[in-house]
Amino acid sequence: MNTSEEKGRRTFLGWVTGVIAAVIGATVGIPLVGYTILPALKRREPEWTDVGPVDSLPFGIPKEMACIHTIADGWHKTTTKKSLWAVKDKTGAVMVYSPICTHLGCGYRWESEQQKFHCPCHHSFFSVDGKVLSGPAPRPLDTLPTKIKNGRLLVIYKEFKAGSAAKIEL
Amino acid sequence: MGQRMYQWLDKRLHLGPVKMALLNEPIPGGASWIYVFGSITLFFFLLQMVTGMFLAIYYSPSTEHAYISIRYIMDEVAFGPFIRSLHHWGASAMMVVIGLHMLQVFLYGAYKRPRELLWIVGIVLFILTLAFGFSGYLLPWDQRAYWATQVGINIVGTIPLVGDVLVRIIRGGQNLGAMTLNRFYALHTLFLPWLVMALVAVHLFILRRVGPAGPWDEVRAARFQEPFWPKQVAMDAVAIGLVFFIVVAFAIASPAPLANPANPSDTTFMPLPEWYFLFYYQLLKYLEGPWEIVGTLILPLLFFAALFLLPWLDRRKERRPVSRPMVMSAGVGFLAVVVTLLTISIREVSSIPKLDPSVLRGKILYQELDCAGCHRIHGEGEATAPDLSYVGDIRDRDWLIRHFRDPQAVVPESEMPEYGLNEQELNDLTSYMLVLKR
Repeated sequence: MNTSEEKGRRTFLGWVTGVIAAVIGATVGIPLVGYTILPALKRREPEWTDVGPVDSLPFGIPKEMACIHTIADGWHKTTTKKSLWAVKDKTGAVMVYSPICTHLGCGYRWESEQQKFHCPCHHSFFSVDGKVLSGPAPRPLDTLPTKIKNGRLLVIYKEFKAGSAAKIEL
Repeated sequence: MGQRMYQWLDKRLHLGPVKMALLNEPIPGGASWIYVFGSITLFFFLLQMVTGMFLAIYYSPSTEHAYISIRYIMDEVAFGPFIRSLHHWGASAMMVVIGLHMLQVFLYGAYKRPRELLWIVGIVLFILTLAFGFSGYLLPWDQRAYWATQVGINIVGTIPLVGDVLVRIIRGGQNLGAMTLNRFYALHTLFLPWLVMALVAVHLFILRRVGPAGPWDEVRAARFQEPFWPKQVAMDAVAIGLVFFIVVAFAIASPAPLANPANPSDTTFMPLPEWYFLFYYQLLKYLEGPWEIVGTLILPLLFFAALFLLPWLDRRKERRPVSRPMVMSAGVGFLAVVVTLLTISIREVSSIPKLDPSVLRGKILYQELDCAGCHRIHGEGEATAPDLSYVGDIRDRDWLIRHFRDPQAVVPESEMPEYGLNEQELNDLTSYMLVLKR
């Protein structure tokens, strides 16, 4: 065997080894990159939570409802119970308010005698449609996305930054 | 570019001699396809390391979360099923290639002087690989994992005198539970990888000191030599590529299984070990009562003692298989027994009727109707209504169906509500009740 033939043979065998290594590397490597980064980049879809039948809401009177809110952190799912205020107007449309006062984040409640929402911390008052009537609250009550499906009220639970005039989702 | 980078490094680190030492190892008799198995084994060990490290990104080693974290990998992580299946089938492939590697060494008498140490380190690596397989099997914490490990550990328990203590040490306590999962996890992902890496280094170091054995025909071996690079490396690469893509095909066609979450009270589950332990599982079926210990202790001890002592049991210089009739027939005999047991076992396993789908649907119905709110099965559920653990022994299909249709018509004092089940639901729930037997 002459040397140039030998050199060609060696180059060929080296090339075979290199190609196989590259193909195996790519077959394992590309899925591994996707496996590692794609779940981290995936945006969480907001989840609709069923808070109860729409029929149970009286017209024009806010009702406190419980919302079992599930937060998925990968495989770790935590459920927390939050309360919400829901009001059905005369047309049957439903407004749902976040349970947190827009001033500093206290829980407020409905005063049925005064027909107002009242936050006991710093005495902000809100009307039944969420507008600020008096007190330090910088913006109306925060409304949440709602929809009605098969007579059930569905809500996407969100929280917003307290104390600012703009409604900023946390 | 690559060439220039290499030159830059070479000027500083003087890589020439290292490269020569790594690649110019002389192979007596030249490169051959029969020598590829060691390299394939090493490749699969590295693949298991890589896929294993990445699985650990999402896996949680606790009895509460192990199962759902694997479920998450299988259902929600991009390429998750592929990576886990590569790890799953890679383990099987590793067993196969280790077996072939050992057979080649055995056939070629390559364990003989001066390579006794190489063989012994290899046997230790083989045992550690079995430990890898056993410890990894538990980690998904599904029914297969739980019950197969339960049986595996109980085998250790049959050893006289020390059995009970050993079982407690392996389990990390009295029961198979949180402590077991954690120590299996630590063993599988920390202790064993480091130990195997170190021993692989020792294995390769010894190989380089004593050199590969080459053909059993000494004249042929002495006739010419060929360096490891490039022909043997290319052959190894082709063989690795071939086995790797077989494993990829398995991973895609048959993803790694995940049964229901581990449930210690579910007695309907039929545990099976991984296929490479099946022949042993079959052997144990034949050895009952006083013979049990032969299977659980004496035969494994004899087997591993024979493996370790092989270089001294077969100490003549002669390496040709035809001149070693005793050793060869022992080897062939062992293989014949293993293959026979494996065949019988696979046949028996595949002839077991799969769990009736009607039973499964009935079980789901049992959960949906919250029957456990009043009834108890093997300690689970309330005890206000009759215990159903062995209801299949005392009631027949007809009685059960009539009773589900109208409980008070059959048992007037019954407080069970009428659920208004349709025909199929009645049948499914009844099928489930009927498997609850002693």
